[in-house]
Amino acid sequence: MSRNQTNRRVDEIRAKSSELENHLIDEYSSGRLSRRDFVRRGTVLGMSLSAVGFLASACGTGKKTGTTGGGGGTAVQAGGKEVQVRAGGTLKLGMSPGPSTEIDPIKVADEGGLGIMSQTAEFLSWSDSKLHLQPRLAESWKPNADGSVWTFKIRQGVKFHDGTPMTAEDVAASINALSDPKGGSNALSTFAGVLSKDSAKATDASTVTFELDAPNGNFPYLLSSDNYNAIIVPKDLSGKWEKTFPGTGPWKLDRYTPNSGVSYVKNPDYWDKSRIPKLDSQQVKFYPKEQAQILALQSGDVDVLIHFSPTGGKALLNDPKITVIELRSSVHREVHMRNDKKPFDDKRVRQAMALAVDRNALVQGLFAGKADLGNDSPFAPVFPSTDKSVPQRQQDLEKAKALMQQAGVSNVSLTLNTWDGFELGDLAQLLQNDAAKIGIKLKPNITDAGTYYGDAVFGKSPWLDSVMGITDYGHRGVPNVFLNAPLQSKGVWNAAHFHNPTYDGLVKEYTAALDIGAQRTAAKKIQELLLDESPILYPYFYFFLTGTKKNVGNVEVSAMGHYDITKAGFTTGA
Amino acid sequence: MARFIAKRLALGLITLFLLSVLVFCMANVLPGNVGRRVLGPFASPTAVAALNHQLGTDQPVLKQYWNQMKGYVHGDMGRSVSTRQPISEVLWPALGHSAKLAVLAFLIVVPLSILGGVVAALKEGSVRDRVITVGGLSATAIPDFVWAVVLLIVLSLGLGIFPSTAAWPDGSGILTQIKYLLLPAFCLVFVLFGYIARMARAGTIEALDADYTRTAVIKGLPQRTVLWRHVLRNSLLPTIAVVATQVGYLMGGLVVIELIFNYQGIGQMIFRAATQKDFPALEAAVLVVGVVFLVSTLVADILYSVLNPRVRLGSADS
Amino acid sequence: MSAGATPPAIDPVGDVAVALGPPRDDARLARKERLQVLIRSKSFIAGAIIVGFWVLCAIFGKLLVPQDPLASSPLNGLEAPSADNWFGTDRLGRDVFARVIVGSRDIMLIAPAATVLGTVLGTALGLVTGYFRGAIDDILSRLIETVLALPVVLVAVLAITSLGPSNVTIILVVGFVFSPLIARTVRAAVLGERELEYVAAARLRNERTPYILFAEILPNVMGPVIVEFTVRLGYAIFVVATLSFLGFGVQPPAPDWGLQIFDHYGLISGGYWWPVLFPAAAIATLVIGVNLIADGLTQAFER
Repeated sequence: MSRNQTNRRVDEIRAKSSELENHLIDEYSSGRLSRRDFVRRGTVLGMSLSAVGFLASACGTGKKTGTTGGGGGTAVQAGGKEVQVRAGGTLKLGMSPGPSTEIDPIKVADEGGLGIMSQTAEFLSWSDSKLHLQPRLAESWKPNADGSVWTFKIRQGVKFHDGTPMTAEDVAASINALSDPKGGSNALSTFAGVLSKDSAKATDASTVTFELDAPNGNFPYLLSSDNYNAIIVPKDLSGKWEKTFPGTGPWKLDRYTPNSGVSYVKNPDYWDKSRIPKLDSQQVKFYPKEQAQILALQSGDVDVLIHFSPTGGKALLNDPKITVIELRSSVHREVHMRNDKKPFDDKRVRQAMALAVDRNALVQGLFAGKADLGNDSPFAPVFPSTDKSVPQRQQDLEKAKALMQQAGVSNVSLTLNTWDGFELGDLAQLLQNDAAKIGIKLKPNITDAGTYYGDAVFGKSPWLDSVMGITDYGHRGVPNVFLNAPLQSKGVWNAAHFHNPTYDGLVKEYTAALDIGAQRTAAKKIQELLLDESPILYPYFYFFLTGTKKNVGNVEVSAMGHYDITKAGFTTGA
Repeated sequence: MARFIAKRLALGLITLFLLSVLVFCMANVLPGNVGRRVLGPFASPTAVAALNHQLGTDQPVLKQYWNQMKGYVHGDMGRSVSTRQPISEVLWPALGHSAKLAVLAFLIVVPLSILGGVVAALKEGSVRDRVITVGGLSATAIPDFVWAVVLLIVLSLGLGIFPSTAAWPDGSGILTQIKYLLLPAFCLVFVLFGYIARMARAGTIEALDADYTRTAVIKGLPQRTVLWRHVLRNSLLPTIAVVATQVGYLMGGLVVIELIFNYQGIGQMIFRAATQKDFPALEAAVLVVGVVFLVSTLVADILYSVLNPRVRLGSADS
Repeated sequence: MSAGATPPAIDPVGDVAVALGPPRDDARLARKERLQVLIRSKSFIAGAIIVGFWVLCAIFGKLLVPQDPLASSPLNGLEAPSADNWFGTDRLGRDVFARVIVGSRDIMLIAPAATVLGTVLGTALGLVTGYFRGAIDDILSRLIETVLALPVVLVAVLAITSLGPSNVTIILVVGFVFSPLIARTVRAAVLGERELEYVAAARLRNERTPYILFAEILPNVMGPVIVEFTVRLGYAIFVVATLSFLGFGVQPPAPDWGLQIFDHYGLISGGYWWPVLFPAAAIATLVIGVNLIADGLTQAFER
């Protein structure tokens, strides 16, 4: 295409685009937005992929901004090039731990449950490894002028596995079930303040409108695979979903044995012909202890480990027979310090604690380098709206000790609460060591998850009541949830008891911002405020690691715990 | 004999009853409620209350116990609280798995240890004897999880002879199943060998010293016959007693082995039920293990008396 | 007791002098003999050396080790044994040698405490059931059978799930679970003693039952009790280590051996054998040591 033709085409697209979308294109053309972030943002706003792709090359400045994945070793970046695989075969996967409760789409809250739900059932869109939104059951979506009403066009001709057609009414019913407080859904925390009950309406067989409580520029993420409860199921779902796993997806349920495993066969009638699975079937085995699944991959009992931790799987990182796929994510830990109790009521003490933490050592020791440094705010490096110009806090023992002296605090003892999963216990012990260097004596109290979370309400939960604790937060595609519940004055997860009206205002600003520039401006202010106030320590955001045998290709994962093996298969042998 | 069995069965029922009460008491001493545990900390209080009502856990304690017992009488074990599946669908297969492993382990360890014990006893005090006894003692002292890990590394990862889990693919034949079970069975062999061999050795020594053996030797019977007919039979007695007590361990105490080898046995089921605070499942599994234990001790006692007519059942102290 | 001094043939009890004669004499001589057997027993010596070593470690551990067992250094995680770290470092960079030596403290406190508790309870239980027989015996024996119907580890896991893991809970739970086993042995021994003359004599003297049980019978069953104690001690160490391995034992960051294995056994396949091997060897040697002592004691008391 000649230069003139290119320009004309760009103008055509611009003319058809909304103000928001034009602003996005401006940001990108002037180099304030990386290509990757532009494409990502564009898909969220509902621009067609072809337009976005065209504009990305036509309007690019050639500048390379944004970061690539970190960590060392021979790990492969997620979302790499597709490789040639044979057709057919059965892929064996390991999942640790497996789903711990009944598989009910409304209630599932664990990684095991969501992973197996999304094999047979689908979402309106899929949030891929680059945080782009790919249309699935929704063909396209558009906001109104201020982003308070979103309209989704539902794909036609899609059938559930039993043959009944999927329509807009099924979509509306599925989402309304999630936003209904009486349903007690796990998704209520995601929809809080965004979508109320019965706000999804099927205006015709192929259109669903969503009336939001307030303008929200990131809303489509909340209906994507990022909100793992939002699978589309038949509107008159009678009986348990767990019996037959009804859905529209590329896999059909073969057999499910709780606490043991699940197997699927491919769906030859799947609506997206390009994504009908190349494999014939897949078998997933559940491993209660991670060590068992690590050994299983090494000895060849399984071909893929959907998710493993760097510490448990240290042996895999250097194993030449294994391919490790790493995915940057926003999984993190929040070390809260109660702002209304001694000694953390003085922000100098909180800052001192933050400065005492040796973040690099944590990342090396706990994750073998497979993590991003956290800068004491929910804005993970992986988010496009994160302002990367804010300087990264590093360990500074001198300054920390000085702050402690200024605050007149020395030799304090307190309990550090957490629970015994993941690396939380290790983190507690390492923080204990760091804190001791500035005169804070921490005593780890590591219980089981049930005890730590209690009833999850203030007054009945060590998590929310303790002076200092460590909580695990799973991945989200956008930071909205992290900004709200744990930090807002009225936030239900506000373990730090942080009440700051300026902060609340800034979060409102961020949420309402529809274009990336405005989001970043708000983000910068939030990041700086949080660095100053330091109500919570965010030491790191670690990578999502997947392991496969060398002869397995095209396994896709999302940092939430979903896995997509429609394009996967064996490259040689097996 | 019949009266003896009847008395033991009656006493056994009392024991089982006490067991069920014990588990139930522990269940209800726990802090936190069942509904909250299942749904997790982020579910709404109304959802939790609804689930508690559905599961019947909001009823008074005694009523819950009564309902559960009533269910057992009708052959209904109830549903697991965490997975909502009928417990029997998980329990019987788990029991079967544990039984398979136990049988395989016994088939290997019993002949091996009796042989070891007899051989050691025949040359009491010799190097051979010391090696077998001390070796056996050391092996038993080492915790089963240490054996499991060491064998895994050497035989599975290192030499690649055995699979790294005991969970065989669905539909495997009996030979494949045995292949998958050999590694955990070997762990058990190491753990049990010393104990059983010691018993066999002690029994053999006693038998060798006994009058009837001397009589037999004087009568001119070849040593092998003497061994077989008298000595072995008597060394079997304490061995049987020991084996019976180990059945309880093998059919429920193998939590560690089952966890490491990812094997769905009863030990793992009890452990999971305990950690997930799933008390219907826990109650059912514990009672089944109790039944197995009581039956095996009864069978052992009967065998004991059959093999040793000098023991009168009625007066034997249990 | 002073060896060689002869006891008076007459022992005044209140106003009445009763001739005691042989039993006390015999007892003292028997004890002397046992001690000699013990000292000559190779198993006992070997066991005593091993256990003695660990007792020293438990008491003086912190002073003996060059590194701090709790000092983590995440950048130096999982380093192989070297001159700086004789047993290498664990995954948080802590010195394994220090943790193994100092780690003896928790288990040397918990296991014996639990065994003592179990022995005290079990002995009392055994005395009562063995002496009284009848209804009390039947009921209590039933209860004992109940608890014994389950493998020890499972019962402990159940109890700790209910009560939460803490050192005190572990001691109480393991102690309670052991008492039935000990009670059984003591009961059998008491059954043998209760028909003997001195018991009848005590009854004739109208001694109160507790006196008969604890002052008369107990000294004579001390033999089996001591043997049971040491056997159970070995088993207690095993159980406490297993509980730690399952995550129900001593809590981090304590350098408990079972906990160290729990934290690191998944790493063996990567070639990181040292954080597992050394604590495992420690457990094994301690249990073997205790069993050897028990062996020696059994031989001595068999006379």
